Formats: sequence, C-alpha cells, structure tokens
Amino acid sequence: MANTTLSPLHRADGSARYTKNGYSVIAAVNGPIEVQRRDELPEEAAVDVAVRPAAGLGGLPERHLESILQNTLRHVIVVSAHPRTLIQFTLQIVTSPGDDSVTGSLPQASSNLPVLPALLQASILALLSTSIPLFMTLTATLVAVNPNGILLVEPSVQEIKLASSIHVLAFSSHGDLLVVESEGDFTIDKWEEVHKKAKSICHEEAGDESESGSEDVSMSSDDSSKIENVLKEAVERKIAKEQRWKESTG
Amino acid sequence: MPREAEPSINEKAFLLQALHEDIRLDGRALDAYRNLDISFGDDYGVADVRLGKTRVLTRISASITAPRPDRKFDGIFTITTELSPLASPAFESGRQSDLETHLSRILETSLRRSQALSTESLCLVAGRQVWSLRADVHVLDHDGGLIDACCLCTLAALRHYRIPDSSVKGGDLTVYSALERDPVPLALLHHPLCVTLVFFDAGEKWLVDATVMELQCSEGEIVVAANPQGEVCLVQKGGGGEVEALVVLRCVEVAMGKVRELGKAVDGALERDARRRDKGGMSRELRAENER
Amino acid sequence: MATQTLVLPGDTISPNILPIPSNPSHFLKLGPGLRHTPPSTITSVLAGSLCIDPKKNAIWVENNSGRYIPQPHDLILATVHHSSTDWYHCAITPYTTLAQLPHLAFEGATKKTRPQLNAGSLVYARVVSAAKHTDVEITCCNASTGKSEGMGELKGGMVFDVSLGMARRLLLARQREEGGIVVLEGLAEKVAFEVAVGRNGKVWVKSGGVKETLLVGRALQETDREGLGVEEQGRLVKKLLRGL
Repeated sequence: MANTTLSPLHRADGSARYTKNGYSVIAAVNGPIEVQRRDELPEEAAVDVAVRPAAGLGGLPERHLESILQNTLRHVIVVSAHPRTLIQFTLQIVTSPGDDSVTGSLPQASSNLPVLPALLQASILALLSTSIPLFMTLTATLVAVNPNGILLVEPSVQEIKLASSIHVLAFSSHGDLLVVESEGDFTIDKWEEVHKKAKSICHEEAGDESESGSEDVSMSSDDSSKIENVLKEAVERKIAKEQRWKESTG
Repeated sequence: MPREAEPSINEKAFLLQALHEDIRLDGRALDAYRNLDISFGDDYGVADVRLGKTRVLTRISASITAPRPDRKFDGIFTITTELSPLASPAFESGRQSDLETHLSRILETSLRRSQALSTESLCLVAGRQVWSLRADVHVLDHDGGLIDACCLCTLAALRHYRIPDSSVKGGDLTVYSALERDPVPLALLHHPLCVTLVFFDAGEKWLVDATVMELQCSEGEIVVAANPQGEVCLVQKGGGGEVEALVVLRCVEVAMGKVRELGKAVDGALERDARRRDKGGMSRELRAENER
Repeated sequence: MATQTLVLPGDTISPNILPIPSNPSHFLKLGPGLRHTPPSTITSVLAGSLCIDPKKNAIWVENNSGRYIPQPHDLILATVHHSSTDWYHCAITPYTTLAQLPHLAFEGATKKTRPQLNAGSLVYARVVSAAKHTDVEITCCNASTGKSEGMGELKGGMVFDVSLGMARRLLLARQREEGGIVVLEGLAEKVAFEVAVGRNGKVWVKSGGVKETLLVGRALQETDREGLGVEEQGRLVKKLLRGL
C-alpha cells in the first residue's frame, strides 16, 4: 500500500515522502529560484533533477534516471510561467528493497528502473505542495513480464530478477502516455498488452474523477489501481490542514 | 549562484538584545537542546534523527573488499556526508562547501579516529578479505546543530547496525544471510558524541544547539566531542572570535553534561526499538535457538 | 459565501459551475491557479480548493503553500541586499533574483534627501511590477499621492515567519470576519505593539521590550501552525497575557 506524506521537510518549498512496494523516496522541490547564468533559459524555467541513492554515491544509473525525470517534469510543469528561473528537484532514495542482501557487494544493479515509478510519484507529490503551476498530474507504474508471458504489476525484487522484461509507464491525468522505459526481450504485441494493463491501472480511475465520478473498481482489486486517488487524498489532507481555522471558527 | 539568506539588521539586533536578557527566540534555556527524536528504520543501521527542525538520516552498509596493503588486519570504515539542496538551496549538489568539509572532518575525528569502531573487528581473512563499512549521512533538513545531529545520528546507526555473521574454515570465508544466522552487532569500543556551543561577546554568553539564525549572529563556535565516560575526543574552536582559556574549559564541562544527556537519549531509543522488534521477532529468536 | 471544491492540476473546470454574471457586460475574472485556453476552456494549474464568488463574478484556486511569487500591489517585507547607482537591490524571498527598489521611491525623496539604507535594512514596500521577463520592481510610496502610507524602512523590532495563507488572512480588510483572526486584537488590549504584514509570509512586530515582541510573534505563529479558531485564539491570548 502506498504511503504518502506531504511537506515532511521545513526548508524546501515543497516536499513529499512516498513509500510503496518497498521503495521509499523523499522528494524536495525548490523554485522558482535564481538560476546560474550558464543554465539560464530565456523563455522557460530550467528544471534540474538530482537523484541520490540510499547508500554510496550516485553513478551512471542515477544519471540515467535523472535525465528521464528531467525530460518528463519539464513537460508537466508550466515552464513558460517563470522564465529565467530554476526549479530544482532533489530526490533521496531512503530505502529500496534490493538492499536486503548485504552479503554481496553494494547494490549496484545494472539498471534502476524499478525505482522510477516511486521517483516520479514522489516528485509530482512534492510539486503539488508548492505553488508551481502544472499542466497535469501523472501516475506511474511498473509492469514485469515473466518468462511464461504473464504480466505482473508492481512485482517484487525476486520477480523482477526472473522477469524477461520490465516496463515503466507513466500516464498524465488526461490519459496520455508520458513515460515509457522498457528493458529486456519482448515483442510488440506483448508491449501493447503491457500498455493496456498499465493504462487501466493508472488511468481508468483518473477518467472517472472528472467525468463519471463512479467509485467501483471491479476490474481489478489491486491497490495499485488507486494511484490517482493517492494524489487526491494527499491534497485533501493538505487542504484540510490549511483550512482548519475555518472549521474551528465554525 | 544561490546564497544563504542573511538575517536583516533588525533581526540580528533583536536576537542579541534578547540574549542580553537571557532569552532565546524559541523560548529555550541557553543550555537546552531542542526536541530530540531518534527513530530507526525497518532495516538495521538506518537512523533518522530530528533535532528541532534539523533532520538527518544515516544509513550503514557493508561490503567485502580487499584491505589496504599497508593495513592488512584492519577493515575499512568510511563516513560520507553530502549536503544536498534537500536541506537548503544554498547547498549545491556535487560541489563541496566549506560547511561540508568542516562537518566531515569533525565526524572523521570524533567517530573514526577516536577508534570508536574497532576496525580490526572488521577483518575477515587477514590480508585478503575485510568488511568495508560505510556510513552515508544524509542531511534532510537544516536548521542548525548539524554537527551534533550528524554525529548522534551516525553513532545511533552504528549501534543499531547488525553485520552479517561469518565464519572462516581453512582460509575459506562463509558469510551467512540473515535467515541462516542472526547478524551480529558491531564492536564499538566507546560512544563519542559531539556538542557544539556558539558564543557571543567574546565568550561572555554561550549557547548550546544554535539554530541557523543564532549561528549567523554568533562570533564563533566550539565543538567538543566526548564519550559519556568523560573522555574528550576533540575540542575545536572556529569562527575567529577570541575567547579566554577559562571559557573553553567551562564549555568542555558543559559539553560533558550534554554528552551524557544525549547518550541516554540514544540508549533509550535503541531500547525502545529493540522492544518493538522483539514483539514480532519472538518466533524468529526461538528458531535461531533451535538451530544450535 | 464562496463555495469550494478540490481541484488538481490539469482538471478542466466545468462551464456549469462558473458563476452567472448578473450583467452580461461583466467579465468573468480568473484568479490565481487557473489557465484559460481559447475559446472557452478553463483548466486548473494548481492543487487546492476552487473558490467561486458569484457576487464578484470571480473564480480562483486557493493555494497557500510553496514559495511566494510576487504579484503587483502586494505589500511585502524585503531586506536590502546592496545598493547601486539608482536602485536598492532587495531580497523578497531567499534564493530568488533580487527585486529593485528605486532610490527615489520614498516619500519626498530627492537626490539629496533620499533615505540611506545599508545592506541588511528592512523595508516595507509594495510590488509595482512583476512581469515574468523583467526584474520585480517595488516601491515605498504611492506613486499617485507621493505619500508613504506606512511603507518605508522599518527600524527595530523583529521579523517572524508565517505561512502565506496566514499572511493573506492578516492582510484582509476585515480580519475578524473573513480571516477569523482575533489574536492581535486580543493582545492589543494589554500590550502596545506595531505590526507590518508582508504578503511574502513575514510579519514585523515591534513592541516595548523583547518579551512583548516575542509574545506577539509567537502568538501569531502558533495561531498559524495549529490553525486555531476564534475561541482557541482567545484562550491562547489569555494564557500568554497571564504569563507576562
């Protein structure tokens, strides 16, 4: 079950902690702040992302994740609203389930895709706790295909190890595909299947919040199907806190 | 480049005026720490310390490597501190600031060079295989008291950590997973902690656990590292302002009292955590007994 | 009374809930957090509660978190960072580009009589312009009357940080009725003090002594942090005054 906390940090303009499937990430956003001359963009805000692993210094896998996040967030934020400024993300991975086996060397897997959904989700939550304008929100999920061709949503570490391919997909609140990162052997048909499954998890719920408003999730009882609701609940809690004075005034 | 925001003239003047009347802005006594909260993660060796608004997270991890050729019987212990924009936008990621250097030097001296952790105990097969233990200190929120919080957090994490059990048979090393054998605590020889005092008016007034603003208005600071048994590991004065020797002695004395206080807080937190783990861990413990 | 619903960024505001103007010549006013895409789509860009005021024919998203973004006509508390030939460069929020305060933007200021402000001085000012492609400009006098209207350098006292929402409530014309704040009124019965509220989440308080100033500041911060209602504020005031 996903666990979210909005604004756990005092100093950052916006922050969030997101825990799900063994991964826990703290995200902080600062912005719009002053940008260094060399990074300045004349028509839009520069988006800077730093991913910091729980143990050890960041390496190539982290840089790869940073570039994916940067490219995604740049399209989510209304960057034209604050030109010549910087919107700075820092994402600290607090726990990742791969770390359990301390026996070997430091957990330096070849790729770090499984943590990507948590990073995306944490950054969007952190953004919601700021006053930075956004075009949309997003929801992300991880789907693995095991050698028998069965799709596994939010797989465990063991399942990821055995999987023939893993896919990270993120959808905007309008239902458009925002991020897709795949790894391993798979066919186009299989990918289509993964896409359909991921979309049903990330978006079907999102669709009803603006249009039909129905709450029945008969199609899948998986708790990951409520990703969109996680965002909503977090914002509701924030507003309730901000508006407490109104209630206690009556 | 972003810079740390300086308090205005009014704020500085007010803070100093209040200090003359022995009042701190947050209503604390001059020698009082802020609310200290120590919690541990689900994994061993993860400590999360909150000191007022300051928050530090330390994670201990271990791997097996070859020892340094000149130190065949010693394991490796490294402490890394990196200040990231999580704590304040003035910290640039990837570039070491003065504060960061200062912080890592003090942690190095007080925890590593004071031999708090016996590096010999990290040796597995002499000259070939040793544990390389690393402490990653992540500063999540910065409102002063960084040195004290980081040192306390790292010590708490070290005391909480359990390293996998191992055995050597005929020069062959076997490392057991947590399921096979319960991991074992580290061999800590003593428990040093840091206390930072900042002073004003050439040492006439001093404060314990200063916030960022108090630090910005101060003339200098004295860091004292000691263990609850009363052995001093480090005394360092910084900031440029001059102080009399007697004041330094007085500071060390005050720090001693504080170290004992903080040490007790760590003891208490570890005890609470052990009790928490024991609740569900009863069955596991029994199983470990049966194996033997 | 304005009605509220929760919106997330990217949500389209249904045209059915938009206020119906009493007169067709009245335009719909879009407040912060909303984006108009021609011809008639309105989407939200912030997470918060959507507020609709049919009387004023206005609609906006209330969001009180994050960094303060300067808007024209806002009163703010700024710190002078340095001075150049014609301007004082002032910090409104930390780590952002400095705002410009012309040397002559004070009541009755001429080249000879302008106030001399050192780095670190505190000024109470109003935002003149905050267009996205230019630096923010602030002023310490009303351009049409030339009067200071309470703005200018603030001497002594202390600055306390509050949330952006609290600052907005404190600046409402009818603090008690709309903002639900009685703490200042309550304290004023026993303690004499001055306050200046900056929309950037800063409140300047000056009183006779250190204790009194801190009392007022802490009362404001506690009201903000705990979200105290009118009655709770009354209790807080009583408690604090007893301690004095």
